[in-house]
Amino acid sequence: MAKLFNGLLGIGVALALGGLLMLVQGYNPLASYGALLQFSVADSYALATTFTNAVPLVLTGLSAALAFASGPVNLGQPGQLLMGALAATVGGLFLDLPPLLMVPLLVLLAMAGGALWAGLAALLRQVFQMSEFIVTLMLNMVADFFTIWAITYPLQDSTAYSPMTPPIAQSGWLPEWGDWNSAVVWMLAAVAATWFFSRRTRAGYEWRIGGQNSLFARLGGCPVDRNFVWVMLLTGALAGLAGGLVVMGGPHRFLRGLGANDGWDGVMVAIVANNSLPGVFLYGLFFAAIQSGALGMELITGVPSEIAMVLQGVLVLAIVASREALQQVTARLAVRRRALERRA
Amino acid sequence: MNLWTGLLNGAISGATSILLAGLGGAFTYYAGVFNIAMEGMMLMAAFCAVWGSFTFSSWVAGLLLAVVGSLGLALVFILFAVFLDTDEFVTGIALNLFALGATTYLLRQSFGVKGVYAGSDIEPLPALTLPWVAEIPWIGPVMAGHNLIVYGAVVATVASAWLIFRTRFGLRLRAAGYNPASLDSSGVSARRMRVYALLVCGVLCGLAGAFLSLGYVTLFSENMTAGRGWISLAAIILVGGNPWGVALIALLFGLADVAGLLLQSYQIPAQFTAMTPYLATLVALYFYARRASRAIRGRAAGFRDE
Amino acid sequence: MPALIELQEIVKVYPPALLALDHISLRFVEGEIHALVGENGAGKSTLMKVLYGLAHPDRGRVLYQGREIRFASPAAAIAAGIGMVHQEIVLVNEYTVWENIVLGAEPVGWFGQIDRPRARRQVQAIIDRFQFELEPDARVADISVAARQKVEILKLLYREVRVLILDEPTAVLAPQEIPQLFAELRALRDQGHTILFVSHRLEEVLELADRVTVLRRGRAVATLPAAGTTRSELAERMVGRAVLFQSRRVPQPSGEALLTLAGLRAVDGQGRISLHDISLQVHAGELVGVAGVEGNGQLELVHAIVGLLRPNAGRIVVAGTELTAAPILARRRVLAFVAQDRGRMGGSLSASVVENAIMTHHRLNRRLLRWRGWLLDMRAARRFTAELAARFAVSTPALAAPLQTLSGGNQQKVILGRELLLDCPVILLDQPTRGLDVGSIEYVHDQILAMRAAGRALLMVSASLEELFLLADRIVVLHRGSLVADVPVEQTTVEQVGRWMLEGVQGDG
Repeated sequence: MAKLFNGLLGIGVALALGGLLMLVQGYNPLASYGALLQFSVADSYALATTFTNAVPLVLTGLSAALAFASGPVNLGQPGQLLMGALAATVGGLFLDLPPLLMVPLLVLLAMAGGALWAGLAALLRQVFQMSEFIVTLMLNMVADFFTIWAITYPLQDSTAYSPMTPPIAQSGWLPEWGDWNSAVVWMLAAVAATWFFSRRTRAGYEWRIGGQNSLFARLGGCPVDRNFVWVMLLTGALAGLAGGLVVMGGPHRFLRGLGANDGWDGVMVAIVANNSLPGVFLYGLFFAAIQSGALGMELITGVPSEIAMVLQGVLVLAIVASREALQQVTARLAVRRRALERRA
Repeated sequence: MNLWTGLLNGAISGATSILLAGLGGAFTYYAGVFNIAMEGMMLMAAFCAVWGSFTFSSWVAGLLLAVVGSLGLALVFILFAVFLDTDEFVTGIALNLFALGATTYLLRQSFGVKGVYAGSDIEPLPALTLPWVAEIPWIGPVMAGHNLIVYGAVVATVASAWLIFRTRFGLRLRAAGYNPASLDSSGVSARRMRVYALLVCGVLCGLAGAFLSLGYVTLFSENMTAGRGWISLAAIILVGGNPWGVALIALLFGLADVAGLLLQSYQIPAQFTAMTPYLATLVALYFYARRASRAIRGRAAGFRDE
Repeated sequence: MPALIELQEIVKVYPPALLALDHISLRFVEGEIHALVGENGAGKSTLMKVLYGLAHPDRGRVLYQGREIRFASPAAAIAAGIGMVHQEIVLVNEYTVWENIVLGAEPVGWFGQIDRPRARRQVQAIIDRFQFELEPDARVADISVAARQKVEILKLLYREVRVLILDEPTAVLAPQEIPQLFAELRALRDQGHTILFVSHRLEEVLELADRVTVLRRGRAVATLPAAGTTRSELAERMVGRAVLFQSRRVPQPSGEALLTLAGLRAVDGQGRISLHDISLQVHAGELVGVAGVEGNGQLELVHAIVGLLRPNAGRIVVAGTELTAAPILARRRVLAFVAQDRGRMGGSLSASVVENAIMTHHRLNRRLLRWRGWLLDMRAARRFTAELAARFAVSTPALAAPLQTLSGGNQQKVILGRELLLDCPVILLDQPTRGLDVGSIEYVHDQILAMRAAGRALLMVSASLEELFLLADRIVVLHRGSLVADVPVEQTTVEQVGRWMLEGVQGDG
């Protein structure tokens, strides 16, 4: 209940601030928000676009939320996403199997690519005690340059003007049903699987407790160090999956700037959701709705669609602030009530 | 100008923004604030610098606005992490993302372009020729002809070291980080010291950002800080916040930057040479972790599970 | 005599439910040493914090020199002339003695640059005036605890305070350091300072103070002149009933050795020996109590047994299983462990009661597992927790409620129940009743005695000699990392164990 109130309060504040910004710059905020709503959820096409946009957000959000809730500060979602996308692209360029085999194989490759990149950070942490926080950040930049190199030289499509790979084999394209892309199905499956893993498996329990109090988990007999590596691998795989699905469901090739902000957006989603998995799903959809709606907003009222990024940033700050403020207020009220009770 | 002078000149250019942001972070580091918002502050400043310089056709206005923009983010950080007691890590990440979003939006809104704005109507920082500097043998040619902020960074390094280690402000600042309870019970609010530290950090990150977009290059591009804030954070951690150490590490990164450019002439693709600062950070982190873990190993360390 | 400080009806509540001060009214007179005594949690420290501006009363007034005051911060209190030395010493270890003393009131020259010669001179002058033996340029990290305490006091004298509040100043001192502190405090009083002195050591209080106020569960129950008051009188008022040092333990023969420590040695990072060849056996049906002043190796001993610290030499054998280098999970099959710290080692406060209750069981109890241990059966876990709650009389709003919503006593019951249900032959208890209320303490004691009756081997570390004498069959004493005594409880006295704790055994240490 408090969570819902807090979320709505944060969203309200963010939208109000966004509206104010538009007003100051001479746009009509009401018309703009109307357009945003219309182009994000009003019809099947808009809704489908929102869900498709949500795929990388939710998956990187799950990755970040699961990592933060389990302890490791894995901030490598952008890099892991790129490496996953690259792995799926390479698979799609050099293999051609029946779709029934090809799609799962590429998905696995994408997950392996992301897991590998996260695993590198886990390895450096376990062997050399190098903080995964800085390592994953640096590996993001390395992955960025590495993938640009890969699509500029070895994997380049010589017929294209800007750096990109040729399209992957058609058998690796994710099937579409009307407006709906089956990437959404993979995302829903990932949400369900991650939730099940976290709530019903022994490892999920150990990760969660380890994230809250790692000394307690260690004393309770949990293999804390080994779990660390597994958390990194699995959260890397989730981010990698996001990259793979972006390639297989969208442009069907790796082009420059692919998934540019998706990794960080996922971190943001995890933060506003306070690492709750259902929260990640809902906020992921909400952020995606803003992103798809913003394009429509630009079309109708001329507000640059980049305002979506501002709205997201304000939203994160507003929700985090209202969460803390709410906690402080409730704690203070409780104290006052108890003092009065004792007096009586 | 021979090869070495060129190399060192380049290294100084590459080092300046990391140095300034690192000095800012050093203040917050000593004050006990886990400040990871340098990246966002620099980015915001870089944009404001270009916007100010373009709008008022004056690099002075650009510089001032850069500091204002960065300070604005610092104030938000203060409001959140110091007064609302929100998690510093979460606040820092949120601010960085907000800066990225806001600058991207403002770039589109103000200049009507996506990605990069590099108009010739941006007035860059002027190069400064200090007459007596160029005369110094060896060092002279390396140090001469840089812009204002480069010399500002040198001054800032000396001033930071003096402030942190010699003054009343510094004694209290470091106490706020070492043992805030002790400072509070001495009658000085540790919270207030954190506010001061973040304000100083805001100003220095503002200069760092202005240098990036008006000195190092004369343009603004989306996410142009490209991890420099994170590198300066790593530098601070590596040297434990000491301004001289930050300066040394920043110069090493500047050299890695230049080394990357040199490698390009050996047919190594630009993408790999561009990785050098980040790889250098990883290498530095490795040596740091090795030193730290050796210190722990003597102590009976905890078991590995299984 | 007029009161220098007067407290009127002070109330302080700590969230969620701790009434720390319950309408306290008190008067302190200028130029006296006034002691506040009470058990742990009686409200002594909180009262001093209220006086010092570190905590703000929810109700009530504080009068100082006849005027109502409400210090916004310690700074305001110091400016008014009231200073406090905390129980834990709060100095900046990285700074020198003089830097610590002047911190917050530094003499400065141009542009705020610290005038070092002047600062050092002033500090030296004040050291000389009160005849404290201290080196102004020593780093605080390198000086003894007694010296650090002097730095704390000097820091206040440097600011010219007239009222000194000392919170348990002797707790951190070696016995031979105490007379010197007392002499210095009396000298301060004779120069006109007022000293408020918080302690739970009755002999010290009676020796030093002019007047004594007794606090019990947040209330001021009496103020007495120290002269003519006896220790047992104070003790009775502190506890609220005549203090019984009577054991509820039923004698029983003990069985085979279940826990064996042989020559356990641990060396810390600076090369100091923290455990010095500890050898000890605990038998079935026996409870061995570990006594010692805090910081004499208890922590290291517990960590070595549970597996958080690798001993440099020696062996640990539990029920015939060699555990010296075993992973933690292997230890937990035969070793139950009740930690002193409920929120750090004993449990996770933000996790639910169920999640706290099934820790370790989730690896060892097949009832909770499905699919070869991959899945947790949450229904079975809830049933298990409900059984635990029923058997150990846990009162909780819901099994899914976070542990932190339970009272301290109920939290400890969850943890105790979890560990006892592991059915291990050996039980390690690290201050199992720390911070609990009287009712919960009795409950925990009953459970511990039941385990002893059931033939388990129990090793219990406790800071309370009373508790050890109540429960233990044998008492061992840790002093500077060595076991200096190992005696059946019938053959010793509280006074003798106390002496061993402070001084070791003659010729040993």
